Amino acid sequence: MFLRQRESLSFDRSVPGKRGMDLPKLDVPPARDTRPAHLKRSGFDALPELSEVEVIRHFTRLSKWNYGVDDGIYPLGSCTMKHNPRLNEKVAGLPGFTDTHPMAPEALIQGDLELLYTLQDWLKEITGLPGVTLQPSAGAAGELTGVMLIRAYHVSKGAKRRVILIPDSGHGTNPATAAMAGYEVVELPSQPDGMIAFDDVTDPVNGKVRKGLRTLVSELGTEIAGAMITNPNTVGVFEYRFKEISDLLHSVGALVYMDGANMNALVGVARPGDFGVDVMHLNLHKTFSTPHGGGGPGAGPVCCGEQLLPFLPVPVVVRNTVKVGEGEVPKHTYRWDWDCPQSIGKVHTFYGNFGILVRAMTYCLSHGSDGLREATLRAIVNANYIRARLKGAYALHIDSPSLHEVVFSDTLQAKHDVHTLDIAKRLIDHGYHPPTIYFPLIVPGALMIEPTESEDKGELDAFCDTMLAIAKEVETDPEALHQAPTLAPLRRMDETTAARKPILRWTKA
Amino acid sequence: MRYLPSSPVEDRALLDTIGVQRAEELLVGIPENLRLKRPLDLPPQASEQEVTWEMLRMANRNTRFCAQFLGAGAYDHFVPAAIDAMVSRQEWFTAYTPYQPEISQGTLQHIFEYQTLICDLTGLEVTNASLYDGGTACVEAALMAVRVQKKRNTVLVSRGIHPFYRRVLATNFAPHDDLKLVEVGLKDGVTDLADLQAKLGPDVAAVLVGYPNFLGAAEDLTALAGPIHAAGALLVSVTQEALAFGWLEAPGKAGADMACGEAMSFGNKPNFGGPFLGFLAVKDAHKREIPGRVVGQTKDLDGRTGYVLTLTAREQHIRRDKATSNICSNQGLVALRANIFLQLAGPEGLKGLAEQNAAKAQYLRSRLLELPDMEPVPEVPFFNEFILRYTGDMAILQETCLKESLLPGLDLGRFYPEYQGCILWCATELHSRQMIESLVEILARVPSVVA
Repeated sequence: MFLRQRESLSFDRSVPGKRGMDLPKLDVPPARDTRPAHLKRSGFDALPELSEVEVIRHFTRLSKWNYGVDDGIYPLGSCTMKHNPRLNEKVAGLPGFTDTHPMAPEALIQGDLELLYTLQDWLKEITGLPGVTLQPSAGAAGELTGVMLIRAYHVSKGAKRRVILIPDSGHGTNPATAAMAGYEVVELPSQPDGMIAFDDVTDPVNGKVRKGLRTLVSELGTEIAGAMITNPNTVGVFEYRFKEISDLLHSVGALVYMDGANMNALVGVARPGDFGVDVMHLNLHKTFSTPHGGGGPGAGPVCCGEQLLPFLPVPVVVRNTVKVGEGEVPKHTYRWDWDCPQSIGKVHTFYGNFGILVRAMTYCLSHGSDGLREATLRAIVNANYIRARLKGAYALHIDSPSLHEVVFSDTLQAKHDVHTLDIAKRLIDHGYHPPTIYFPLIVPGALMIEPTESEDKGELDAFCDTMLAIAKEVETDPEALHQAPTLAPLRRMDETTAARKPILRWTKA
Repeated sequence: MRYLPSSPVEDRALLDTIGVQRAEELLVGIPENLRLKRPLDLPPQASEQEVTWEMLRMANRNTRFCAQFLGAGAYDHFVPAAIDAMVSRQEWFTAYTPYQPEISQGTLQHIFEYQTLICDLTGLEVTNASLYDGGTACVEAALMAVRVQKKRNTVLVSRGIHPFYRRVLATNFAPHDDLKLVEVGLKDGVTDLADLQAKLGPDVAAVLVGYPNFLGAAEDLTALAGPIHAAGALLVSVTQEALAFGWLEAPGKAGADMACGEAMSFGNKPNFGGPFLGFLAVKDAHKREIPGRVVGQTKDLDGRTGYVLTLTAREQHIRRDKATSNICSNQGLVALRANIFLQLAGPEGLKGLAEQNAAKAQYLRSRLLELPDMEPVPEVPFFNEFILRYTGDMAILQETCLKESLLPGLDLGRFYPEYQGCILWCATELHSRQMIESLVEILARVPSVVA
């Protein structure tokens, strides 16, 4: 499964005099040294000296310690690890795209502008919202853009307001974003079924009463700028009363932000613009299959309603239709519009992670209207298949109907002192990447499994068989789980020392 | 649909196990009245060949150049073949964030090496796994400076910083009524020391200075550091062309307390502005305030060296609204490109490449100055970009160059009214002497505007 040999840091293998890059012969006079002496580059302490062969082997060997989507099911919940078509990579590498300069005059970048405009059109139809910006680089950047739109909207009405409501089941980025946009966070409690609580909730453990949505809206009223709601929520369930929630928030003038991390359950099936969402982000690196790249780059476009259009980031891509004769296909030209006086400004240096947008456009064209819906339904079928096969062996803390992911709890295994972390690590020994663990926080010992539409029945069965075997092993040999992983290149890591005495870079011995 | 593993037999088996007749029955959790009752109004699915044709059509609608003399935050450098070959490995480009260290050591060790190299280039001690781009890196640096410098709420920003970075800064500071961004003017193409001194005060947390700045000038960080530190503020260098680190002293060694900016130059094409590579490096004392993911070295149960995400108590999934930033996904794969690029180049390659850039830019400048309509502006030390005043008609110059498939430098008047009529030129190792000669030859044909 893994490369067994150790791969040292490249710095430890550096040998003076080697290099992996030859420079062209200099065909102009050498540079005069115009730098003040103290600004002249003194030297480097770490840059290694290696030949190209050594560099390639180094990164090839390191890669073999990773698990990728092509290795098998990658069941990380809320991450939508679906197949990454090679076509998308190939298209994004076309020199016609990669060589274009972001400061080039509009007349020379008509292809890029057409692509941005077209992708925006697709996202508008998919979300049912009339405004889009493609600038945000990732989901969190999209959230921040969205909340800044909400803020600009309220400011234009006279006051920015003070509070953003966020369910306790939400991603950590939501409260972090609200804070970055200058808002105070008030938490919305969940009901036992994982849905947002309309009425006050009494904590069964400490008896504390937590205010539900109705109470918060009546108490805070026009102090509420908006709410950030993940839908389907992080338990993989559609907020069944979403329309009522948005109506209630709208009644005090608050706006509804939807975290679109779980949009893979809705594309072609339901549109946020149709159920009361004012603004949302999409994760193109999840739902639209642009790869995760080991942590990025992603893209987090923001879609919004009519009332937020004036505040979108600049520049906005605009289409002009050139008049043609009757019966002819209309011709279009594209330009940037920088003249948007109410805009929040720029949220990316240029226009966003363009190369990622190219991949998303390719994904859209490949799937089309019918393929997008088919993918959604298959993702839901796959999650429900896993749910059906594992139910009983693992506890379903929340029994609401699953969409594209299913969340189990470790309560059955905890009796044997085996916990979610042990199950996750044991999966590694079986050659699988573990699911998302300990999230959402409202499920004790959560194991959040999202198979995506990419998995065939054989792959799903093999994964489920392994999960069932592990559940058996919990009863017969819990120690094997405590020790896991034992077949990976490394055993469990000492994360406490890593944080207490951080070593964050190599230094010369 | 070629990406979906559907077949009548298997689909039936899946649905039977679940206990439903049709997949649509699984939508029961979505209220009937909130479901979409029609197909999306979009074209139908298409074959790989059809999609390729359509995407090629769009790509070909862009104009190709035989040379571009435009930098301004997006630099065209040579990309070694090894980089594309390496990042095309599925283990790199399809993997998720390395949350499970035992199955992600490749990505984690790469990030640790990348962090080491960014610290080496900047002369600082701690960095993270990357930020989105130069503009948002400035935002994170400025917000971090305010956190570190408790009770100081003002950030001074040199007018020499990329105008788009400043725009991104303004957007992100707007929501914070308690924070202030104040611009420091330019004099002779560099930060105006007198204006800076006038604006420094007990409220100033940090000063952001371009290094080199947008006009190409190598600002004298050491000279600026004196008054900035005396006022108790932090000096933050902002670098939009990271290859300059092969030519100019590391900002951390020249007086900067933090260094941020854009490192797309290491192994990427201009790509219409993204994905690029934001970076932020800081001193060890500030490590617990840095935003974003950080990788640390540790041991496994058997004492073997390995790598993990660490200092996570700063991050959004733990601290929620008290986190140092909301960033989670970053520019991982672009950081990998930079890591491979820098390891191939090594110290000699990086210095040599930087020297070539300086040589080409100096040659371009000297040749352009031979033209009657090009005039020097006060010369300051520059790396691979510089400005010249053009006394001719800018529109005709543009048009003439484009007709010859050359993309000229940036018309600065759009961003700096005080530099109306000036052009920001850029040359890199990709500009052969012959390209420079043909540019000069073509410009010589632009009719002089007679006053």
